[in-house]
Amino acid sequence: MDWLNLIVIPVVRSLVLIFVLLTGFAYLTWYERKLLARFHVRYGPNRAGPKGLLQPVADAVKAIFKEEIIPGHVDKVVYLLAPALALAPALLIWAVIPLGKDFPAVADVPIGFLWILAVAGIESYGVILAGWSSNNNYSLLGALRSSAQMISYELPLGLFLISILLLAGDFSLVNLAEAPRQWWEWIWLWIMFPLFFICVLAETNRSPFDLPETENELIAGFQTEYGGIKFALFFMAEYINMITTSAIMATLFFGGYALPFGIGSEILPWLGPFILFGKVVVLLFLFIWVRASIGRPRYDQLMHFSWKTLLPISLAYMVITALLTVFFKP
Amino acid sequence: MLNVSPRTRAYETLPGLNPLGIPAVAPLPSGESPDTARIVERFGTALLAAGLHNGQQVVYVAPGQLVALAEFVRQDPQLCYEALIDVSAVDRSELPVSDQRFHTVYQLRSYARKQHLTVVCPLADSGRPSVPSLAGVFAGATWPEREVWDLMGIRFTGHPDPRRILMPESWPNHPLQKQVPVGGEEVPFTLTWSDPEFESFGKQVLAAESKPPVLPPGMNRENMIINMGPHHPSTHGVLRLVVELDGETVVNVDPDLGYLHSGFEKTGENKRYKDFVYYTDRMDYLSAMSNNMGYCLTVEKLLGIAVPARGQVLRVLMAELQRLASHLFWLSTHVLDVSGTGMALLMYATRERERILDLFEMACGARLTVGYMRVGGVSRDLPPAFLGHLDAFLRAMAERIDDYERMLTNGPLWEERLRGVGHISREQAINLGLTGPMLRGSGVDWDLRRDAPYGGYEQYDFKVPVFSEGDSYARYLLRMEEMRQSLRIIRQAVDRLPDGPFRVEDRKITPPPRAELDISMEALIHHFKLMTEGFQAPPGMVYHGIESSKGELGFFVYSDGSAKPYRLHVRGPSFNNLFAISNMSKGAMLSDIVTNIGSIDIVLGEVDR
Repeated sequence: MDWLNLIVIPVVRSLVLIFVLLTGFAYLTWYERKLLARFHVRYGPNRAGPKGLLQPVADAVKAIFKEEIIPGHVDKVVYLLAPALALAPALLIWAVIPLGKDFPAVADVPIGFLWILAVAGIESYGVILAGWSSNNNYSLLGALRSSAQMISYELPLGLFLISILLLAGDFSLVNLAEAPRQWWEWIWLWIMFPLFFICVLAETNRSPFDLPETENELIAGFQTEYGGIKFALFFMAEYINMITTSAIMATLFFGGYALPFGIGSEILPWLGPFILFGKVVVLLFLFIWVRASIGRPRYDQLMHFSWKTLLPISLAYMVITALLTVFFKP
Repeated sequence: MLNVSPRTRAYETLPGLNPLGIPAVAPLPSGESPDTARIVERFGTALLAAGLHNGQQVVYVAPGQLVALAEFVRQDPQLCYEALIDVSAVDRSELPVSDQRFHTVYQLRSYARKQHLTVVCPLADSGRPSVPSLAGVFAGATWPEREVWDLMGIRFTGHPDPRRILMPESWPNHPLQKQVPVGGEEVPFTLTWSDPEFESFGKQVLAAESKPPVLPPGMNRENMIINMGPHHPSTHGVLRLVVELDGETVVNVDPDLGYLHSGFEKTGENKRYKDFVYYTDRMDYLSAMSNNMGYCLTVEKLLGIAVPARGQVLRVLMAELQRLASHLFWLSTHVLDVSGTGMALLMYATRERERILDLFEMACGARLTVGYMRVGGVSRDLPPAFLGHLDAFLRAMAERIDDYERMLTNGPLWEERLRGVGHISREQAINLGLTGPMLRGSGVDWDLRRDAPYGGYEQYDFKVPVFSEGDSYARYLLRMEEMRQSLRIIRQAVDRLPDGPFRVEDRKITPPPRAELDISMEALIHHFKLMTEGFQAPPGMVYHGIESSKGELGFFVYSDGSAKPYRLHVRGPSFNNLFAISNMSKGAMLSDIVTNIGSIDIVLGEVDR
């Protein structure tokens, strides 16, 4: 029955996962719009369904049934490929994220960590190709900003991740989530969390680091020429990335699917996914809160911050972590 | 060529109903002031006339002497008129004169000596009227002179950039010349298609030819040229900027105006004095009250009437509320431009502005285009509940301004985005003819409310904030402080609000109260005469500037003694301030252009007029 274990079960799991993620994306848009509305002293969507809960459905229907417009001046193949290329990595990362004890989303890959780094690296191609193929100055500027920004922030992000690896001593995310940590390890990790979060904001192109699509300067940046469902795919990629990175952060910093001090982990192991879900929702709140209260830096300031501030800090952090690991870890 | 309806409609010339008034020429200035005496001493008989007219210093000079005069009044230590505020022109072809069809009119300002000088330059008659350009003396003349060329057809010799500015390059005429019809297609009132009335029907529409874009002078295709606007999220309306970029660095900016040009000045010449108030609402639609006030004060100056005390205080109250509303909306859009749509302050400032608009609605029934003021006062008294609501608003507002400052001044990133961006030095600000917060942000201590008081502002106690840094951050802090000062003025206005009439009781200028119409025949006659004919203003010309939220809003009126202004010119602060955009943005980042547009605080309705 090898083929069952190797193919059927992973496929079924993937399909369920994709379904859950797409629903999650849809309701994340609702969540963001409602929350932003609260920050803005507005109501937010409240017409479609109770509390506007059917709004994502209406949006999806609208996006899907919109006329497909492909501008005459674009490079067609790349133009159509780009949205798919943006969305696929966002979904792929989920394969290795542990949802519960001994319950990885699709597979417990021993090098889950590297998988995340590798797939995250592909993400920026969707944006860059979209901007390039659109043959529009605004899109091009957005794509250029995007590539520079992703490279700049992937460096400190990678260094921070290496520090976490050093502490845990394992590449598997399942083991990472369950790694027994001493109290000073937690504190040391949490000190790094705000900086890590900044890198994640930049990686996911979220406000205040949404410079590739700054609507005030670049109209819509790399997605200026996209409409209908193609635009929705970019949108989807961004929001699923938010969910993904929240899940990763929950796993790395806040124990993933487990409650603190191991409460209930023996009695109710099936609670895992729900606990993870709760943590993700809280982290997503953070994304939106930041968007509502912090303005955007200018492009050059963003780069300076990465290269002159974050990179040295992350390097120092890595060195100190290495020393701590050598001297204090049993 | 345009084929449009005749300028004077038949019903307007019906005898008895609406006499047009006898056209007369504005009298030459008489008397003298120290400044005009000094100019006469220097130029002697080369001047055509000099002296006082309607209380203003006016000098008539021939085109040959114009540049010399401008340089003299600018550099002479006893005069030092540092800034050229406005350039306009009058087409006198419908006046009872046979020569010198065009006059150009210059408004000069001395900030140090708090003096205003009007220079009139009659042009020699020829097929191509021309006058030397003053752009070499005052850089601020560049755009106003382009506007005069565009709308009046007067060439400025030696002008650095002699393109049209508001109308398209292909426009067949210069609209403000008197022989050009006002436009507006007549609706044929007939039932038969063979009626000759239909002959001109639909002829006014110009053919929509597609033309290849023309690269503005001084730009290079080797760099990236992007087109910001006219449909761009942060150009505050239909402004188009052609931007030359080297990477993210701005090499050149060329603003393209006129997408919202609605010919207010031409319309004004065809409306009675009292009917133009509502048009001023639509210019700077974010500060309709200030526009009303500026226009009414100008006409009152021409008529020589004084508004009763209650009317004056009500005007100040409304104008300051409007300044507050305008600044609040500036703040919210500036935050939107700099920080993105998610930023919550956008909605907070808009929420407070809504409360001001609610107050306006209580006072006059309209929120945005209020039309509250009238020549001679205001349209109606305050409703009884107004002051209570105003008081509640004032108390809430003081804390709100502190809240905004906590979010921005003390918050991360805001200062970094604005500090050092869009820098203008003191000399530049004066030379470019900037006014309002743009001028005060560069260290010039000048506020018309204090330095040339109008409408009773001399009775209020307020500070004029001045910052010397000259960057966007200084202008931000300055406007925040201006909001606080406006609150102070409003409080004082509420405290001193006197009883009494809210407008002039002269029945030739303001209509009688409605109740009087039912019992008094005389009132009915006055009402009828006023509504059909309006009132006539004595011949003469007058310029009056007020401090609107964006800078000096000036109205120049040339009267020929009839019930309509012979020439009405509006000096929009947004127009003159926007001229600074290329100076501010060269060498900056692309994002800074957006910051600069926000920091100038433009309203396209006023830029294009």
